[in-house]
Amino acid sequence: MPTALRFALRRLARALLTLWFAVTATFLLLRLLPGNPALAVANPNMTKADQQLLLHQYGLDQPLIVQYGKYLWQLVHGNLGVSFTQQVPVGDVLLNRLPWTLLLTGSALLVTIGVGIPLGVLAATRAGGALDRLVQLAGVVGQSLFVPSVGIFLLFAFGLWFRVLPIGGAYTPGTSGAAWYGDVLRHLILPCLSLTLLQIGSYVLTLRATLIDALGEDYCALARAKGLPNRSVVWKHALRNALLPTTTLVGLQLGFLVGGAVLTETIFAYPGVGRGIYEAVTQLDYPVLQGAFVLLAATVVVANMLTDLAYGLLDPRVRTS
Amino acid sequence: MRRRSFAALAAGALGAPALAGCAPSAPAGSRATGDTLTIATTTDVVNFNPLVGNSRTDYWVTDLMYPRLLTIDADGNKRPCLATRYGYSDPRTGYYELRDDMRWSDGKPVTATDVAFTINVIKRDKPAGNTTFGLLANVTSAKAVSPTRVELRLSTPDAIVLREVGFWMTVVPAHVYGRVESVARFANTADWVGAGPYTLVSAAKGQAYTLERSGSYPFAPGGRPTLGRVVFRVYPDVNSEILALRSGEVDLIANTLPPAQVRILSRTNGISVRKVPGLGYAHMAYNMTRRPLDKLAVRQALAHAVDYGAIRRVVLQGQGVSTGSSPIPPTITAYADSRLTEYRFDPAYSRKLLRQAGFREDAHGRFAALNLRLIYSLQDAVTAQWVNMVASDAAKAGITVTLQGMDRNTYLAKTDAGDYDIYAGNFAIMDDPVTNMALTYLPKGAINYSKVDDPELTGIITKALVTTDAAGQHDLMAQAARIVRDNVYDNVVYLQNFYVAHGAAWTGFVAKPSELLTVVDPESLARVRKLR
Repeated sequence: MPTALRFALRRLARALLTLWFAVTATFLLLRLLPGNPALAVANPNMTKADQQLLLHQYGLDQPLIVQYGKYLWQLVHGNLGVSFTQQVPVGDVLLNRLPWTLLLTGSALLVTIGVGIPLGVLAATRAGGALDRLVQLAGVVGQSLFVPSVGIFLLFAFGLWFRVLPIGGAYTPGTSGAAWYGDVLRHLILPCLSLTLLQIGSYVLTLRATLIDALGEDYCALARAKGLPNRSVVWKHALRNALLPTTTLVGLQLGFLVGGAVLTETIFAYPGVGRGIYEAVTQLDYPVLQGAFVLLAATVVVANMLTDLAYGLLDPRVRTS
Repeated sequence: MRRRSFAALAAGALGAPALAGCAPSAPAGSRATGDTLTIATTTDVVNFNPLVGNSRTDYWVTDLMYPRLLTIDADGNKRPCLATRYGYSDPRTGYYELRDDMRWSDGKPVTATDVAFTINVIKRDKPAGNTTFGLLANVTSAKAVSPTRVELRLSTPDAIVLREVGFWMTVVPAHVYGRVESVARFANTADWVGAGPYTLVSAAKGQAYTLERSGSYPFAPGGRPTLGRVVFRVYPDVNSEILALRSGEVDLIANTLPPAQVRILSRTNGISVRKVPGLGYAHMAYNMTRRPLDKLAVRQALAHAVDYGAIRRVVLQGQGVSTGSSPIPPTITAYADSRLTEYRFDPAYSRKLLRQAGFREDAHGRFAALNLRLIYSLQDAVTAQWVNMVASDAAKAGITVTLQGMDRNTYLAKTDAGDYDIYAGNFAIMDDPVTNMALTYLPKGAINYSKVDDPELTGIITKALVTTDAAGQHDLMAQAARIVRDNVYDNVVYLQNFYVAHGAAWTGFVAKPSELLTVVDPESLARVRKLR
């Protein structure tokens, strides 16, 4: 079997194991939460017998192992179940929200990489200078920020004081046609900026450190001795090597992005999966919560697997280690 | 190889937003003419089926589509809506007479068949969370005896079922809901057919719900709802809603305002604030299955160790009123008894009562035997504030109250299990004193949080449940309220009047009692208009 294929299969097996663990942990943790879904939707007229009936309808009166077995069986058949409260398939609930989360996290990742890499290069090539210090300071501050504080500040500043951007939502109801796409972009700016501000520091600081190291390596000295211009040495030789840890960071940060999106979507009333999770928690809607966490876990696992594969492609030593 | 790998990674990052950008479909433009009122709400519509959905936004949105038999006026009286009249032809037969000028949005008339179908299908399918289901315990069946008359067969005389079912039940179209196997599992996510002033045309979860004017509505001026469209937009909390109102993104906040925001917003240019009478109350229930709360003197001592006036002044900023320690809200003028007076705040008197009951203070002036645990929900910001004042006041009487705030689901679980000494919370809507006393003070009442079991009180409430004579029922409720107050079976802290905010450019709102109806009741939104 070719080395690359063996490497990919090993990573796939590990990803499936991680996913199973996430599914099982989510299933058990939800059932450890205080209260039950019948109480969450109960009204004052509901008797104990009515509540029991509801638990029976939800299948929650069965032994835990039976519930777990049924859930896994559903899952391997691609069925995420039916929402307790909305009475619609969980797959539909999530598919309605997923594009918005992808749009937000994808855009944030793109902006972070697009701005973070040049900033990291700029800081590394001017190490010790005023610009480097400023970038480092901004990076550390960015890493220390808290999602709600940043979000609320941005809302106040751009939504209320300057009134240039909307307070919440993904688009203005009633807009249509080409205007709708522009409106979606306007609504995307603040949540995207919020996520970008929180994660860009890690990219800049990581890249700065690895690039400074790379620029001190012999092959860079040789390139310079050969008369290559500094720009080529930095962008063509040093940066490629320095990007390896940054690539790993992309995979790791995807987990943060997904987690950060829950809070960001809530603050900006962005209709993604994160906001759906927040609502499902208050209603103890187990199927929606399980489905959402499976989706998020799968996103992180797949992202990490792709990172591993990309890493293997970038550095052949990883494939054979 | 390296160049291609990095290019693939970059393409992936670029591809995600591109894919996502294409995925949500752009909504089509509206054909409705007239003004659009945009309303902020803090939760999504959970379920579009009014027989299942019971979140606040569910009520607000589905109430604009599905009629109720009765409504409530500012004095807490039930009055006709779809039903023109109701009563009992004999002790086991109730009836509703219906108006004949309402139509579903698909053109079919709203008839007694729809009402009878709704009652029978709720009994048959037992939809989760349905408020009416519990009220129908004594109803065996409903029958449309003519297009405008429904009769309900009762298993036992029940004096409250008609007005309670009339108020709480939304009527659904039999020709639509009759096609589904079980209404309990019907999500009603598209092709909405309603008979209210507005009907849903689009729903984007987590984003907005758009309703457009239905053809006609008898409670609108001239029979035609004033607005072209009503849009509910979802925000995470009331503070974001306020930002959205101030920035002009929305025209009305459906949720009631936190007390501290009322004064600020009423002084803000371009914003008007309206009062909405409360229909529920904040209270503390003392768990009488636990010692020493089974002793009347201890409950009285606790009741006299609360500075009710200060709570209303400081926490509610003057927006709360006293109920005279009665469980009947003063809003329901027909039942309220102004002779009842509130427990006087007097910690010295509390100490005296406790000493007389045999309790002894330690060297620090504390009654060691009185260390009580009070539970409350952290989601309820107002309660979270006043329970601190309760604990502080109790300490002045030598009573230690340990506060235990928790998330809503834990709070519900602990309440259900009776795991508390003192329960602090709110009853949002106590629209009918007889029903509410039955639920709150009968030994098996679903919200009997004090665990009251008083034969005299039980007898009075049970009698009221079958007394159809209004004066007789009022008298029985007055007796019951006095027993509750004198025995401290409940400690009503205040009734909160609410406030909602809207853009000053809008007028015509009708405020109906309670947080549930406020100014987004169909009768209100059918007559709202924009000032030119």
